[in-house]
Amino acid sequence: MAGDLAVSMRAAQLCAATFTAMSCPCEVLIETADAQAARRLGAVAAAEAWRIEAKFSRYRPDSIISRINASGGQPMLLDDESASLLDFAARCHELSGGAFDVTSGVLRKAWRFDGSGKVPDQVTVDALLQRVGFGRLSWNPPHISLPQGMELDFGGIGKEYAVDRALALVAMQCDVAVLVNFGGDMATNHAPATGPWSVGVERPDTDREARLLLDFAAGGMATSGDTHRYIEVDGVRYGHILDVKTGFPVVGAPRSVTVAAGSCVEAGLMATLAMLQGVRAENFLVEQGAQHWCLR
Amino acid sequence: MQLTKRVPGELRLGLMAAACALLVQPAQSQEAVTLASDDEKPLQVDAGVLYYKESAGRIQSYDAIVTLRKDFGDEHILGLNGAYDSLSGGSPTGAVPTKAAQTFATPSGTSLKATNGAPVTYTTSSGRKVAQLETVTVYTVSTGALPLDTGFHDQRVAGDLSWSQPFEQNNHVALGGHLSHEQDFQSISGNASFSRDFNAKNTTLGLSGNAEFDKVSPVGGVPVFGSDYTQLLKGGDRNKQVTGGQLGLTQVLARNWITQLNLSYDSSSGYLTDPYKIVSVINTLGVATGYRYESRPESRSRRSIYLGNKVALGRTVLDISLRHGTDDWGSSNDTVDARYRIPLLGDDLYIEPHLRYYQQTAADFYSLFVSSAAAIPTYLSADPRLAAFSAKTVGFKVGMKLDQDNEVSVRIEAYKQDAKVHSSTLAGLSGLDLNPSLQSFICQLNWRFNY
Repeated sequence: MAGDLAVSMRAAQLCAATFTAMSCPCEVLIETADAQAARRLGAVAAAEAWRIEAKFSRYRPDSIISRINASGGQPMLLDDESASLLDFAARCHELSGGAFDVTSGVLRKAWRFDGSGKVPDQVTVDALLQRVGFGRLSWNPPHISLPQGMELDFGGIGKEYAVDRALALVAMQCDVAVLVNFGGDMATNHAPATGPWSVGVERPDTDREARLLLDFAAGGMATSGDTHRYIEVDGVRYGHILDVKTGFPVVGAPRSVTVAAGSCVEAGLMATLAMLQGVRAENFLVEQGAQHWCLR
Repeated sequence: MQLTKRVPGELRLGLMAAACALLVQPAQSQEAVTLASDDEKPLQVDAGVLYYKESAGRIQSYDAIVTLRKDFGDEHILGLNGAYDSLSGGSPTGAVPTKAAQTFATPSGTSLKATNGAPVTYTTSSGRKVAQLETVTVYTVSTGALPLDTGFHDQRVAGDLSWSQPFEQNNHVALGGHLSHEQDFQSISGNASFSRDFNAKNTTLGLSGNAEFDKVSPVGGVPVFGSDYTQLLKGGDRNKQVTGGQLGLTQVLARNWITQLNLSYDSSSGYLTDPYKIVSVINTLGVATGYRYESRPESRSRRSIYLGNKVALGRTVLDISLRHGTDDWGSSNDTVDARYRIPLLGDDLYIEPHLRYYQQTAADFYSLFVSSAAAIPTYLSADPRLAAFSAKTVGFKVGMKLDQDNEVSVRIEAYKQDAKVHSSTLAGLSGLDLNPSLQSFICQLNWRFNY
C-alpha cells in the first residue's frame, strides 16, 4: 500500500521524512541538508513499513496472518520471512516460559481497552482461553497448521521488526546517521556528528509532556506501556497486556517500560516481557541486565 | 531509574540470539513484496524435441515432448505430459549374419484369407485357433550382413496425468495415470505413492505402487511361440500385465549432501515375447537351415536396488548413482551414472557433463542361434537386448537462463553397446560379427518457460 510521505527540515543538518504506517505516526530522521536525498531514503523506509504491514497485518484480509487464521487447521507452507518471524515467536514463547504468546490475540474479544470500564466475566474468558496457546499449534518449519478457532497475531513483534528492517535498508544506501521511529519504537545506525540522538519518553496520562530525555546512540529502543490503552474499574487499572494463563490483564505492571538494546526487536520484546512480570518488572530487568527506564 | 549493571541474564542472552537470527535474514527489497510460497504459481511449461539415431541404418526417431506443471498453491500440483514419437529404420530380427544371402518375410503380410476367400486357420496343440498368413512381402539380406527388418516404422502417442498434494502434516500423496498408443501396442497404467517426512524434513520415506495393462497386436498377428518361421503361424492379440512397487528412503546427510535409497520390485505376466524377433537354426557346419519365432516365459519378476547421491561442492553439483538389478530370467545388471553440473558466468549458464556405464548378463534362454542338431528349447531368443553386453554413454548438457522465466538447454550424448559374445567358430559363421556393436547419438533441445 502506498501512502503520503512528507519531508521537512528539522535543523541545519537534519531532515525528517514522515508518513503513517501500522496505524501510527512514523518518522525517519536523516542527518543531511539534502531534502531530495531524505525523501528518497524516507521512501525506502516507508515502502518497507507498508510492505511488512501488508504482509503481516491481521487487519488485512490478504495478509499471511489472515490466511493462516482462515486456514481452518489445514497445513500451510510459509515463506522464509514469515517462517523466521514465527521461529522468533516460538523462541520468545519458550524463553518467557509461555508468557509471551502470539496466539493470545483472541483474548481481545473479551477485553476492550477503550477506557469504558467493562470487565468480562470468567466464563467468557475461560472459553477464549481454550483457543490460546502456542503449544496447540503445529509448527514444523516451514509448515504451520493452526487449529480452527485459534488466531495468530504478530502485533507484538511486527512494528519492531519493521523498524529494524527499514533501518537496515536505509543504512545500506547512506553513511549518515539515521533514526527510524515508528510510533515510539526506534533504531539508529549511529549518532549524528553533533552527538547522540535525544529521545523523549512521554509520561503516561499527562499531556505529551516529555518526562524523560534519553541519549540514544546505537541499536534499538522500544517502549511498552498502557498510556492510552487501559480499563479502570473500581480504582483498579487493567493494562492492555494480558496474561495468557489467566486471560486477565497483568496487574501491577509499570505504566511504561522503555528498554534500549542491540536492536528494536530485542528492545521491544524485553519491554513486553518486563510488563508481563507485573510488579516484578523492574527486578526482572535488573536481573537480565537490560538498560531500561520504568515509569509507574 | 537507570541501571548500571549490564551483565545480560540468561533470558536476555536467548532473546539477543533470537533477534539476531531474525534480523540476519537478507533484507527484502522494498518493491519486491515476496509472496508466500503457498500462492498459486504460473504454469510451468517444458517443451522439448529429441532426435535419436543409431548407426548402420538402424533405428532413428524424432520425439516431441511437452510437460505442463501447475502449482495451485500449497504444493497442490497438477502435471500433464504429452509425447509424440516417430520411429523408423531397421531393427535386428535376431537372425545371425551368414555367408549366404538370407531371405525373410516382413511381418506386414496381413491377409488372413486364402485365395478362395476362406479364412485360413490353424489349431495349436493347446487348442488355440490361429490364423495363418497367406501373402507376405519378402526381403533379402546380403552375405555377412546383420538381418534387419528395415520396413520398421511406427508412431507413438503418449500422455500422462498426475496429481500430488500434501496430506495432513508431513505427508504427501500422488496419483498418476498413463496412456500410450502405437500401431501394435496399447498401454494403460496407473500409479499411487505416499511419502512422509520425518526428522524436520531431513528424512523422507516413500512407498509407491503401479499397475500396467498392455495389449499387444503385432502387425500380421502374434506368432506361435517357437514355431517354424516359414509356417507363419500367427494368432490374434495378446495381453501383458505389470504390477510393481517401490520403497524409497531419502536422507539429508549434510547441508550439501542428500542421498536416496530405493528398492523396487515388479512382476510381469502375459505376452512378454517380441513378436518380430526370430532365432536362426544353425547346423554343425554353421549354415542356417531355418528360423524359429522366439519364445519367452510368460512371467518375469525384477528386483533392483538404487543408491543416488547429490552433493554440492561449492557452486557445482555432483550427482552420482549406482543401480543393481536382477530378474528371474537369469539376467542381472549394474549401472553407474554420474553428472556434474558446473555453473559458468554466474548462475545463468551451466554445463553438465554426463558419464554412464552399464553392463548386463544374458537371460538364461538367450543364444545367438539354436542348433539344428538338438531339440528346439521351450524358451529361446536371440534378441540383442537380452544378450550379455556392456554400454557406455558420454555426453553433456548446456543450459542457459534467458531471464527469470525462460531457460533453454541442449543435450548431446553418444552411446556405444558391445555384446560380450558375437562370434562363432563354426565354419559357416567364422569371421562374421554375429552381434555387432551398436552406436547411437542423441540430441535434445529443451525450452522451459512460465506461462
